[in-house]
Amino acid sequence: MALQYKYNPAIPDVFRCRVPLPGTHQAYLSNGLLHEEVSYEDKLHLSASSPKGFDLKISPGAQIPDTLQIISVRETGQIVELQFSNSLDFGAGSDSNLLLCTHTLSLDEFVTLSELNINVQQGSRVNIVIMQNEHNGSSHKMNFKIKQAKDSYLRLNIVSLHGARLENNIDVDLEGEGGICELNGVYLVSGKQEILTFVNMKHLVPNCHSSQLFKGILDNESRAVFSGLINVAKGAQKTEAYQANHNLLLSRKAKVYAQPHLEINADDVKCSHGATSGRLDEFALFYMRSRGIGLKEAKLLQQLAFIYDVLEKVNNVPLRNRLQELVESRLRGEFEQCANCSINCC
Amino acid sequence: MNKILEIKGLRASIEGKEILKGIDFSVNEGEVHAIMGPNGSGKSTLSAVLAGRENFVVTAGEVIYLGENLLDLAPEERAHRGIFLGFQYPVEIPGVSNVNFMKTAINEKRKFANLPPLSAAEFLKMMREKMAVVEMDSSFSGRGVNVGFSGGEKKRNEIFQMAMLEPKLAILDETDSGLDVDALRIVATGVNKLKRPDNAFIIITHYQRLLNYIVPDIVHVLYDGKIIKTAGKELALEVENRGYDWLING
Repeated sequence: MALQYKYNPAIPDVFRCRVPLPGTHQAYLSNGLLHEEVSYEDKLHLSASSPKGFDLKISPGAQIPDTLQIISVRETGQIVELQFSNSLDFGAGSDSNLLLCTHTLSLDEFVTLSELNINVQQGSRVNIVIMQNEHNGSSHKMNFKIKQAKDSYLRLNIVSLHGARLENNIDVDLEGEGGICELNGVYLVSGKQEILTFVNMKHLVPNCHSSQLFKGILDNESRAVFSGLINVAKGAQKTEAYQANHNLLLSRKAKVYAQPHLEINADDVKCSHGATSGRLDEFALFYMRSRGIGLKEAKLLQQLAFIYDVLEKVNNVPLRNRLQELVESRLRGEFEQCANCSINCC
Repeated sequence: MNKILEIKGLRASIEGKEILKGIDFSVNEGEVHAIMGPNGSGKSTLSAVLAGRENFVVTAGEVIYLGENLLDLAPEERAHRGIFLGFQYPVEIPGVSNVNFMKTAINEKRKFANLPPLSAAEFLKMMREKMAVVEMDSSFSGRGVNVGFSGGEKKRNEIFQMAMLEPKLAILDETDSGLDVDALRIVATGVNKLKRPDNAFIIITHYQRLLNYIVPDIVHVLYDGKIIKTAGKELALEVENRGYDWLING
């Protein structure tokens, strides 16, 4: 795809992804300001919205196999608290892929509130991957407001690698019949980090399908909250809605609060929810060690195995491999170097 | 003949309950030992203690392996020194392919022996050769370790891993349980192909069936945490015909 950049040479290369993924085109957003517009024929337009944030429009019927990557960074400045709002409009019958990375480029304290208003129009297919890799002084709340029309498909994968306090509020309104929404998330927290996930999946009409799979690994004194609601409106028959949250606790002081909720006001539905928390499996560790694999490596393999099925949901294979590498280096504790220059991870 | 393993007065318990109540026997190079016994006699505990599973507490006795005190070593250190345990219930590891799992295992062992890691070509050649030993399809190599494998495939994978790691002492814990005749034959053929004058096997089994295919030199009957009878291969047949009662009550 020949994406056209309004390339901004004022952006130092250090801020760019050093090893861009194949078939991926980058745009750069710093402290909420979009520095580069991107357009592709009349199919895709990425522009700055006022006063801050971006505006992404995918034209009806546009088929875009490549991935648009938006790198959103917080960098040194006087502003501690920052709020901005982004809108994403996926036109009817379109097919597109988005990767949104959030980073911090200095060790300053940051408090960010970003909104993503996502409109998935009739018959469109959308793949969104969010990669959150910030630092121990960064608190970032992302509010997702998602509306899905008839026969639309959205897969949203969130990979939360690092941040003092990350909060993801995901509201989905399934407004048209035949809508499919898949939410998947992996979160890794250590030290005193916190990750909070709130999902409100609203089945407003019949014949929609939703699934949620969130898995987390918690170490040290970290904390995770998962509160997920599946809400089936009156008359929303033939709804299928599933929710699962599983947690692996590596330390006795790590805590997870899982609250799965179901509110069902229709009588012909299939719904399920489940939440677990557990420790590393001693027997599986023994199995690996009996093959000569050291305890540390065996623990790592088990952690990777635990979240494997979530990462597998990222269907862009080079991106999935990159995320797996990032997760692995995060779990190996090789990640701290990225706190200052997050683009190192790429 | 060189002695590989010597077990002297071994007692072990789990959560305060004594399972092994004084085990003595030795294994020499080139030997195949069979350990038989009814359920709950301590067979699997013995194999787990020899491989180093940490939830068992050794309360008395010693185990000398190639002149070293085996009980001082972590499970992975035992593996590096040539001990292999074939599991009764192999573990599934999603997301870790058989290839990567074995590559890690082999290179850890080579590191211990001060050998450089195998090159990709050497490793793949070895994989192919050893997969042929257990008649394993090459498609297994890319799949997650034991993920979605049938019971028989899991056991075959255990023998494949054993073939890759070329142990000095292999302990097979009820490898025959849950196998149909074909799988049993493949597993047994694999073991027989891997037998050498300088290695040894301890085959733990509930039934004599496997011993039709792998002929043991020595058969021990374990009951209530003790070896109550040791004899040649004819003992296995006798157990098959008469059960364990005559040994327990005699």
